[in-house]
Amino acid sequence: MDTVYILITGFLSVVLINNLVLTKFLGICPYLGVSGRIDMAFGMGLAVTFVMTLSGTLTWLIDHMILMPLGLEVTRYVCFILVIASAVQLVEMYLRKFFPPLYESFGIFLPLITTNCAILGLCLFLNLWGTESLLEAVVLSVGGGIGFTMAICIMAGIRENLMMVDVPEPLQGAPITLITAGILSLAFMGFAGII
Amino acid sequence: MRSIKHFFEQSWLLIVASFFFGLLIAVTNAALSARIAWNATAKLNTLAGGLLPSATKFTPLDETIDIVARGGKPQALQLYRATDNGETVGWIFTAVGSGFADKIELVVAVNGDLQSLAGFVILASNETPGFGDRIKEDGFRNQFKGVPAGELVISNSGEPGTVVTISGATVSSTAVIETLSHYLTQVKEQMQQKGLVDHDDES
Amino acid sequence: MTTNPDGQASNYTKTLLAGLWRENPVFRLLLGMCPTLAVTAAVKPALTMGCCVIFVLVCSNIMVSLMRNLLKPHLRILMFTLTISTFVTIADLLLKAFQPAMSEALGPYVPLIIVNCVIICRAEACASKNPMLTSIIDAFGMGIGFTLTLCVLAGVREVIGTGKFFDIRVMPDAFVPWAALTMPVGAFLTLGFLLAAANIISKKHS
Repeated sequence: MDTVYILITGFLSVVLINNLVLTKFLGICPYLGVSGRIDMAFGMGLAVTFVMTLSGTLTWLIDHMILMPLGLEVTRYVCFILVIASAVQLVEMYLRKFFPPLYESFGIFLPLITTNCAILGLCLFLNLWGTESLLEAVVLSVGGGIGFTMAICIMAGIRENLMMVDVPEPLQGAPITLITAGILSLAFMGFAGII
Repeated sequence: MRSIKHFFEQSWLLIVASFFFGLLIAVTNAALSARIAWNATAKLNTLAGGLLPSATKFTPLDETIDIVARGGKPQALQLYRATDNGETVGWIFTAVGSGFADKIELVVAVNGDLQSLAGFVILASNETPGFGDRIKEDGFRNQFKGVPAGELVISNSGEPGTVVTISGATVSSTAVIETLSHYLTQVKEQMQQKGLVDHDDES
Repeated sequence: MTTNPDGQASNYTKTLLAGLWRENPVFRLLLGMCPTLAVTAAVKPALTMGCCVIFVLVCSNIMVSLMRNLLKPHLRILMFTLTISTFVTIADLLLKAFQPAMSEALGPYVPLIIVNCVIICRAEACASKNPMLTSIIDAFGMGIGFTLTLCVLAGVREVIGTGKFFDIRVMPDAFVPWAALTMPVGAFLTLGFLLAAANIISKKHS
């Protein structure tokens, strides 16, 4: 019961309260770049969730099974980024071979994901949060991905409506997106007291 | 044979670079690790000094004590004896608890006879700003001064010897209280067994 | 490219100045937004972050420039990542050893320099094509441009958000700090308005 409670609070926390994009500023580049249309945003979100779950789990395993017992924590960053890069490559190859339609729809985002700070950020936060068990690591990774998807889809929805609005010229493009993101993060701050 | 040759032709730079960078990291780490460890001790001493102002010297205990950490894993805990002119005025140890999907590290100070708490400070935490991180505020921390070391009692009325959680930061403040209780009971028991401090008067 | 020394020197100055405004990584290219937003609640962490980025940028540009003729196209990105992550680890260790307080304040955002697009973009666009000196100058220009932007953003947020600058009180006592500016919302809003200001200025110039 206690484990379930910890998992649920952890999940809610990483999706709503410690949302990677809106409170930790991770993954801002795709957040600004790909949030123009809602279907693209959703595709990106799915790809990120997938890779994040995979690399979050893998890096947790490597961290706890190899690096910590051997005392090699100093090479942690190098290992993490290599794991993420290879995970992305593998996923890309696998999809191209076995699921061509899926590859067509979100394969184009995959190379971008290697340099998506949300992935590496989550792997580092898993370590920082002192995640105790593999199950917890998996749940938090999925939560991080869902949080990202949610944030980017909300943003895309707002931006589709912004197309019809007369935005002052200097604010067009990135500035108005950032200001919208600011107001969104203000809204997400309201979740902070719920647990 | 051809494929192996091809493999090396393509990737020799990668292999050489990996060795070179590995060496670079190893050298830097070897050069700096002593200083990093020294920084950690210095920080612990400053924080501990704030909790036990009468203490002039903190010495690590020769033997560690075996306890069960939060989460069930065994842990060897390093205690520090705080002394003033050779007289023991308190004990210092660090405790780790899990907060809001997060790790909270505390530095805990107990008075010399292990009967009451001298206070604690947060060494590291990542609690939500404005909510969970209110556990760092003096108002919350000061109520722990002088409460009996052992299982802490949570009450809402604020009677002497009991502690109150923070509304809006219930998870984080409860986590701190539970971590303290968890460590204090074990540390007290172990220390009494080892004969480093006297047994409780009642027993 | 001209061969006389004057032409060479002016080329270097041009490269150096490009990072400051014309190709400023944050304002003009929208690169490296993650640290820009995360560490700018106060000037000191922003400056520390800027220095780390300059260090990593210069070192990785030197390495990439040295091995630019040996790079195989399909292993290029892998080599860049390896180089960058090594120097970030070193920067992290240096920070832990000599600036422990700052290392704690920056937390995971130091290792996140690895995925800072500014660095990989400079490695790809400049260092893998140019000789070492040009690469170093380019790294300094970009790094300083990035640091200055971070400091401007952090300055605005710290002065209005806490009434202090570099931990020294600068606003009159009657000033009530806008605490919201030190929170995530302040980061987004301030950067949004600064970008708008940059747009207006560059428009006036052209």
